Amino acid sequence: MITAHSLTKHYGATTAVHNLSFEVPPGVVTGFLGPNGSGKSTTMRMIMGLDAPDSGAALIGGRPYCELVWPLREVGGLLDAKAFHPARTARNHLRWLALTNDIPLRRVDEVLDQVGLSSVANRRAGKFSLGMSQRLGIAATLLGDPGVLLFDEPVNGLDPEGIRWVRHFLRGLAAEGRTVFVSSHLISEMSQTADRLVVIGRGRLIAETTVADFVSRSGRGTVRLITPDLAAFAEALTGAGATVGDGDGASLTVEGLSAPQIGDLAAREGLRVHELMPITVSLEDAFMELTQGEVEYRPTTMAGAAAAGEGE
Amino acid sequence: MTQAIQAAPLGHYRFKHVVRSEVVKILTLPSTAVMLGLTVVAGLLVTGLVTNAALHHGSGYYIGFDPTQEALTGLIVAGLTGGVFGALLITGEYSSGTIRSTLAATPRRPVLLTAKIAITAAVMVVFCELLSFVAFFLGQAILSGGGAPSASLGSPGAFRAVFMTGLFIALLALMSFGFGLIVRSTAAALAAFVGVVFVLPLVMRGISRGDVRYLPTNILVNSVMSTVHQGPGGIVQPLSAGLGLLLMAIYAAIALAAGAVLFARRDA
Ligand SMILES: Nc1ncnc2c1ncn2[C@@H]1O[C@H](COP(=O)(O)OP(=O)(O)OP(=O)(O)O)[C@@H](O)[C@H]1O
Ligand SMILES: [Mg+2]
Repeated sequence: MITAHSLTKHYGATTAVHNLSFEVPPGVVTGFLGPNGSGKSTTMRMIMGLDAPDSGAALIGGRPYCELVWPLREVGGLLDAKAFHPARTARNHLRWLALTNDIPLRRVDEVLDQVGLSSVANRRAGKFSLGMSQRLGIAATLLGDPGVLLFDEPVNGLDPEGIRWVRHFLRGLAAEGRTVFVSSHLISEMSQTADRLVVIGRGRLIAETTVADFVSRSGRGTVRLITPDLAAFAEALTGAGATVGDGDGASLTVEGLSAPQIGDLAAREGLRVHELMPITVSLEDAFMELTQGEVEYRPTTMAGAAAAGEGE
Repeated sequence: MTQAIQAAPLGHYRFKHVVRSEVVKILTLPSTAVMLGLTVVAGLLVTGLVTNAALHHGSGYYIGFDPTQEALTGLIVAGLTGGVFGALLITGEYSSGTIRSTLAATPRRPVLLTAKIAITAAVMVVFCELLSFVAFFLGQAILSGGGAPSASLGSPGAFRAVFMTGLFIALLALMSFGFGLIVRSTAAALAAFVGVVFVLPLVMRGISRGDVRYLPTNILVNSVMSTVHQGPGGIVQPLSAGLGLLLMAIYAAIALAAGAVLFARRDA
């Protein structure tokens, strides 16, 4: 379990994180979502005790990171893909790490095997591709078999194969009962990996919820209905308490009634239904809606294009 | 589920764990062998050249001749390469990003830094003492072989000079480590080190001759390596060897203390 209590961090005049509180429970993958520059990496560095918060605290199992008795046996963190010396071999990097926490050296070969780096274990890590570097970073997080794992953008720079591997891997860790906290600015990635979401923008909490709830909260359950009996249907729906919007002359958009309720209504009233579609808002849309105005760096030209697009 | 799934040993990570891992870190970097090898080769080469150049002169040349100091000249070069080595031990962690892995593994910064400094000191003292004695014996062999005056460890001040020179070079490396800890960049640390040790003496000589004797290079050459009381009628006497070494230890301690304070407070 990771808990953030009112974390605040400034870098000079920049407020990187402001009064941020959330919980990361064990047994599920919790996605940490936010636009570029929203403070995800900063928050993770504070959880790992690398940066000190100006106020507030980040706790792991109720204790600050620097008070952990065997840090690598309790927390595995991959904060950046190249946190190793390029001239050291992958095996030697893991060897010194293992020694710090009295971890048996056989774990080094075990985790190298687990991430598929056994065959390059004696190569200098500086020669690794980005994907291999990420795997070495992941191997390092697993050394102490920790119950809490943090990954900052673990799929950055990975090919689709690598992305699938990481996704599967993270879900596996959570299924074993571990606490898994993964940041990303790619909502599509999170929708396939995470169960829960902590969403931030400009260093502030926007939402802390399940993926399903996050979507439905923004979707408000709109249903599209295609029917030849437009006028009669609209009247019946309004009578049943729904809000009806005009479609393209052959359809209606209905809010306030679910698709089964509309179907039942049609049967009672003897109205014809040609198509009935619940409109699910994508996670992407929900995210965009929620982070409107929370984006730190919006290129002006793109903002202009987006505004023009909305007008259509 | 906050405790490790695999049973952890009792207690917590300690100084000895950090020391073990730091030893492996030093041994598994190719730059360690390169820098220390270079130090040996360059140091002994300079000692060889200097002592060889002192052969076959008229007897007037050998008035005030200090065979111990001659033989230890190579250690000045070792001071440069040893300083680079000392700085790299910490700046290499910052430039590569390893420092974040290190701090994640052993977040108690005082324990970590104490272990790092202890290892650096131990490695440098052993290495520099060995090199100092080897350079001494090499130089004396060349001098006596060529018929020039030579010294033995039993000669007045010789053992003291050889031993203290080793310590002095180790202290230079520790000061450089301190610079590295303060500036966290290899280039900046080396600039500071070379500036203080090799450039500052040149600059100061033009400004104030008397104060030059407090500079590391001058202490090394005139106070620590020397066994002959220098400067007949000289205006400025060099510091005594003991005082010089103490001053160098203070310089190193100041650099390390400043670095330690920053290290404890700064974000990684
Ligand atoms: N060490 C630092 N010094 C100064 N400013 C910093 C530092 N680290 C982060 N910032 C600033 O804090 C804000 C948050 O940065 P952070 O890297 O935490 O965002 P992020 O959510 O991880 O972004 P991304 O998705 O691009 O990785 C940014 O405005 C950034 O410029
Ligand atoms: Mg980031």
